[in-house]
Amino acid sequence: MIVFKTFLRIVKKCIFPIILYTVILVLFSSINISTEDNNMNFTASKPDIYIINNDKYEGITKSLIDYMSANSNIIELKDTKEAIDDAIFYRDVNFIMEIPVNFNEEYLKGQELEIKIETTGDYPSVQAKNLLNRYLSTARIYQHLNLNEEDLIKKVNATLENKVNIEITSGLDTSALTKTATYYNFLNYAFLAGSIYVICLVLSSFKNENIKKRTLISSMKINRFNRNLLLSNSLFAFILWLIYVILSFILVGESMFSMHGLIYIINSFVFAICTLCIAFLLGNTIKNKDAINGIINVIALGSSFLCGAFVPMEYLPKSVLNMAHILPSYYYIKNNNLISTLETINLINLKQIILNMLILLIFASIFIVITNIITRKTRN
Amino acid sequence: MFKHNLKYNLKTLYKNKTLIFWTYLFPIILGTFFYLAFHDIEKNETFKAIPIAIIENEEWQKNNIWQSTIKSLSEEKDNKVFNTTYKNITEAKKDLEKGDIIGYVLLEENTPKITIKTNGTSATILKSIIEEINSKINIIEDYIELKVKEKISIEGYENIDKINYEEIAREALGMLEIENNIKDITSDNMSYTMIEYYTLIAMAALYGGILGMVSLNKCLANMGSIGKRVSISPTKKGTIILSSAVSSYIAQIIGIALLFLYTIFVLKVDYGTNLALVILLALIGSLTGLSMGIALSSILKTNENTKLGIIIAITMAGCFLSGMMGITMKYVIDKNVPIINMLNPAALITDGFYSLYRYDTLNRYWINIISLLIITSILILISIKALRRNKYDSI
Repeated sequence: MIVFKTFLRIVKKCIFPIILYTVILVLFSSINISTEDNNMNFTASKPDIYIINNDKYEGITKSLIDYMSANSNIIELKDTKEAIDDAIFYRDVNFIMEIPVNFNEEYLKGQELEIKIETTGDYPSVQAKNLLNRYLSTARIYQHLNLNEEDLIKKVNATLENKVNIEITSGLDTSALTKTATYYNFLNYAFLAGSIYVICLVLSSFKNENIKKRTLISSMKINRFNRNLLLSNSLFAFILWLIYVILSFILVGESMFSMHGLIYIINSFVFAICTLCIAFLLGNTIKNKDAINGIINVIALGSSFLCGAFVPMEYLPKSVLNMAHILPSYYYIKNNNLISTLETINLINLKQIILNMLILLIFASIFIVITNIITRKTRN
Repeated sequence: MFKHNLKYNLKTLYKNKTLIFWTYLFPIILGTFFYLAFHDIEKNETFKAIPIAIIENEEWQKNNIWQSTIKSLSEEKDNKVFNTTYKNITEAKKDLEKGDIIGYVLLEENTPKITIKTNGTSATILKSIIEEINSKINIIEDYIELKVKEKISIEGYENIDKINYEEIAREALGMLEIENNIKDITSDNMSYTMIEYYTLIAMAALYGGILGMVSLNKCLANMGSIGKRVSISPTKKGTIILSSAVSSYIAQIIGIALLFLYTIFVLKVDYGTNLALVILLALIGSLTGLSMGIALSSILKTNENTKLGIIIAITMAGCFLSGMMGITMKYVIDKNVPIINMLNPAALITDGFYSLYRYDTLNRYWINIISLLIITSILILISIKALRRNKYDSI
């Protein structure tokens, strides 16, 4: 008990960084968790666009703006050049189009004035450009038929309404599961940093020369002391893990109450075991208390950046991902992403996930072996 | 005395390994992580031809318009839209299941049917283009009908046999293929991941405050025996503090210079073309960091570790708001509550680099520089007020 009490006293002292990591986790995941609904019906993705209209809102101009607005999200911006430039740079909008003065009047006379656009070059911007191109090509044809303004617009609109049947094969609510994966991926950072920090600090405090001597001459057997220390540390890691799991229920909600949710939890538990072993290894190797913070930051940030905790794995360069294979976080995050695409849960589909969990456990046992070798050497 | 203290203070700073880790090494390590994680992200977001499959049934093989349009959309050129493979239905289903294709198109009774796996932008683009091709046929029919009516009304029924339907159809198709009068004026400087590196420089500049704090602690009688010893020495306090500050500034500038060299030559960060203004911003940003360290160190009556924690916490919070942990953060704050980032030195430094990179005009840059100078002067005034005429009844 005395070991546990001391443990708690040290934890109390360094509660601030743990709260900090948790706050970052909550902030990050609530910002990045979008609330898009996904279902069996086709829902068109809408690009975010901004239209600068220098013409009067009538005729072809009106019809073009209406068509663009119906198929995309019009973003409200301050009407200054700086605000618009910033918006496209920070990807608040994917596409900006500027309709010139007298566009409508000249169009009806057969003169197509130039429309200036700015794009971010990504998928939504290509979609927005497609919309614009489709409108202009369709309108040109009818314009050549010498229709009057009203008939022209009517014809164009009727043609643009042409719809094609579309069918969706997957019934999986991917967006909710991606949300969960985002949360659990970021947990990689918070959990690694939080638990390694505390466990290292505790172990290094007990390793202080005077305290070590004091413990050795006490009546408590060294084995029992070590066992208690191990238990307290494991208990701490377990409680931290539990808090984060409960948080995930609050932040992600509904989709956690499913088989998918359960697998996420199991996966994070396996990772928690592995983290505990890493923390033990580091706690037993780091001698300088001042160095703890630096080493933790490098390890936690490094494995989070390289394994896709912050940036989705599919956006990472291949070379980085290959390198990440040597880190346990890779298998944990890979599993989170796999779970989010799991359609039916059966043994065949789960094979890869279970394999990754086994790799995590192998990592854990390797860390234990190394810790044992190191502590044995230093004891002599 | 000024030179003597300067020299020895520099030596002490460089002997402190933890300090050098946080101010020199940590920004470089973090920058390397940014580079590894982000340098492909923009390339991956850029549009690449969408993989689709076409079910090659008899009807497809007979339909020229469909065939030629899909073929021209799948040709290797700059604006290639589809990466098309021709399959039978079972193969296509398998590919869709595996995720090799976004969707497949089946032409039945003259109407196309699209099957996709999940919703998304690629699926929307596929649908919208198939709709466009499908409406082409309507357009051409409409065109022929109206053209024929027009001809009849001009030339009368007599010449009805002479009307060349094929030519009218070709005319319509040709018109559909004319390039629209659209001009892309997107600027070249659109790489938003640069913001990450700018926040990194801001972080390094403000972390310089740690150097200032550690140096100043050595001059404060309440911070330890060296402080007591320095305080009772006959040297003027102003000289001691100024030389400590200058030596920290030198150490800080060397750190920033190393970081600049690393980001420019190894990580290939683009700071725009105006190097002199980039250096000016870095110098002033570092000065703000230094004065923040000194001000905090002189107001706070607590131990060195807490002071360190507070400087790191303030810097990291500032960097968070300027977009270090998510680039959109800065934009959201700038758009909705601009006042926060006007008072945040990290955001001012980041925004200064951003305006040099993105804009041709320098108004925004100078506003950032002036704001930083105002913040710095206020911090220096606070420090002077706190450091003057200190008396200790007991320490």
